[in-house]
Amino acid sequence: MKKVLIANRGEIAVRIIRACRELGIETVAVYSDADRQALHVRYADEAYKLGPSPSRESYLRDDKILEIARKSGSQAIHPGYGFLAERADFAQACLDEGLIFIGPKPSAISAMGDKAIARATVSKAGVSVVPGTGGEGSLSNEELLAVAEKVGFPLLIKATAGGGGKGMREVKSIDEMPDLINSARREAESSFGDGNVYLEKLVEGAHHIEFQILADQFGNVIHLGERECSLQRRHQKLLEETPSPFIGDDQDLRKTMGDVAVKAAMAVDYVNAGTIEFLVDKEKNYYFLEMNTRLQVEHPITEMVTGIDIVKEQIRISRGRQLSYTQDDINQNGSALECRINAEDPFNSFLPSTGLISHSNLPTGPGIRVDTGVYPGFEITSYYDPLISKLIAWGENRAQSISRMSRALEEYRIAGVRTNIPFHQRMMESSHFMSGQYDTRFVEEKFSMDEEELTNDSKAEIAAVIATLMTHQRYKLSSQFIKRGERDTSNWKWVGRWERMHR
Amino acid sequence: MKYVTTVNGNEFNIEILDDRHIKLNGETLEVDFVSVADQPAFSLLLGGKSFEAYVYPEEGNLQVLMQGRSFSIIVEDEREKRLSVAGGSTVSESSEYLLRSPMPGLVISLPVSEGQEVKKGDVLLILESMKMQNELKSPREGILSRVKVKPGDNVEQRQILLSVI
Repeated sequence: MKKVLIANRGEIAVRIIRACRELGIETVAVYSDADRQALHVRYADEAYKLGPSPSRESYLRDDKILEIARKSGSQAIHPGYGFLAERADFAQACLDEGLIFIGPKPSAISAMGDKAIARATVSKAGVSVVPGTGGEGSLSNEELLAVAEKVGFPLLIKATAGGGGKGMREVKSIDEMPDLINSARREAESSFGDGNVYLEKLVEGAHHIEFQILADQFGNVIHLGERECSLQRRHQKLLEETPSPFIGDDQDLRKTMGDVAVKAAMAVDYVNAGTIEFLVDKEKNYYFLEMNTRLQVEHPITEMVTGIDIVKEQIRISRGRQLSYTQDDINQNGSALECRINAEDPFNSFLPSTGLISHSNLPTGPGIRVDTGVYPGFEITSYYDPLISKLIAWGENRAQSISRMSRALEEYRIAGVRTNIPFHQRMMESSHFMSGQYDTRFVEEKFSMDEEELTNDSKAEIAAVIATLMTHQRYKLSSQFIKRGERDTSNWKWVGRWERMHR
Repeated sequence: MKYVTTVNGNEFNIEILDDRHIKLNGETLEVDFVSVADQPAFSLLLGGKSFEAYVYPEEGNLQVLMQGRSFSIIVEDEREKRLSVAGGSTVSESSEYLLRSPMPGLVISLPVSEGQEVKKGDVLLILESMKMQNELKSPREGILSRVKVKPGDNVEQRQILLSVI
């Protein structure tokens, strides 16, 4: 493998280019109109244009990507996450072209892509799934209503083709269920072109914990420990950490969950890097939720505590080599956190913010890593997701990684767009977060960005001084501007006119 | 120059004496105030202590972001303030609020219909953009009027969507 095409953009494209560079592999970037000046285009050895800015006319154009792979003489394609990463037909098309797809086999992608089939497959392998409709994916409304009583309320209606919370509805009683089934089906149909739904018991006080899997082509499967991803807003992850404070020092739980994750991956003959997501209830009962058959956004925290470069390992696996590690080699050293820095305003309903990044001062120093695809002068558009960067902190223990993260968030300066940095700063200060007492409902139900009592707050006084000085500066500038206008001709012109008058 | 600065309802009296000195609630302090990395980021040295903040102008106010907190601030020249108190209610409360689209996107739904009363913080419109559904909320109470869009419409940035009177 001498040349790899990266079918993605943003920070993840940069991340993959870096791994290739370190391995001495040439890189081919693809880009849309909006991304001509993006970092991945500038860092890659070669770059080719896909088309206009909207994803479906650029990064989702599998035909064009394959054509560029052919023309550039690439031997492999890395899909990153999102876009074409979990499309079995694209993985198959790569293989048909004689290209290496840096990811799992198409059969594993489709087996895990349909949530109902995935549930059936892993439960056959002895892995418990959240109680619900089992592996049945195409039940009628009447059948769903009949099963609902058995599953028990509250429950969730989920789309079989789903993801990202689309086509998902929470049901509290049988009365409201018929309407909710229909609206879930409509949303699933419009998002995925598939209106099938299934039922799952709603696990209350749940934790979302996932295990990173690596599997080679020789049947060796290992896990790299867990990631705690319970801090979400509307099913979008905001902050991840490892080890999970909920699992804590319960090594037995960690080991059995890891073993189960490996078993679930083996059930679909999984190869390459993947992630098994679990839902864990208050009593530490855990259930298989789904498998992400790709590299995850939050993979760096696992890299920080295990010391393993997951992207390099992906490439190694795709080259047909054995894993560099056995399960016994894997240790979690210290603690790592990742804050997703998004272009959105936490003080205004997390509304996305677009604009030109006029200034960016990245935090550095001990234990800090920043994965980003933007720089000053780059524009955040509404065509793609709002992720600006991933701020990652490592510490010898959780207290240290939190204080490092706090420090780094304070150092981070971005101007031009609003960011959710204040949200993360508040989170680092929250006593619930510090003590590790949070579940998947925490951000939406127990966390607020509203200002509490600020009377006698010394910060309010400083803010007042800053606002006043800025207003004063502006006032001075505008009055100078008027004065300058009094004589808008240059002295040379003025002298010229004066001389002509006196001829 | 004398200013009256209101932070989330609390008033501060700040007098700018010269480029390096201010009087804050009667006390004279040495200041050094510069814009870093162009606006909106500012650095303030106040009696030797160092602070940094972002300042964003918003409808009639300034939003100051500092150490993970957001302050909504009104800065008024003392004379202006005296005039506005004498003149009664401010203009902004009586006029119409125009909701403009903060970004290009697709209108998903309008939970409130025209003519209905809304409270501050009520969701007026759900807009899909950047792969996410965003709630656009009412900044104050009033009556929803002049709805210019319907679900399914594609809207441009800054396009007027509706108004609250």
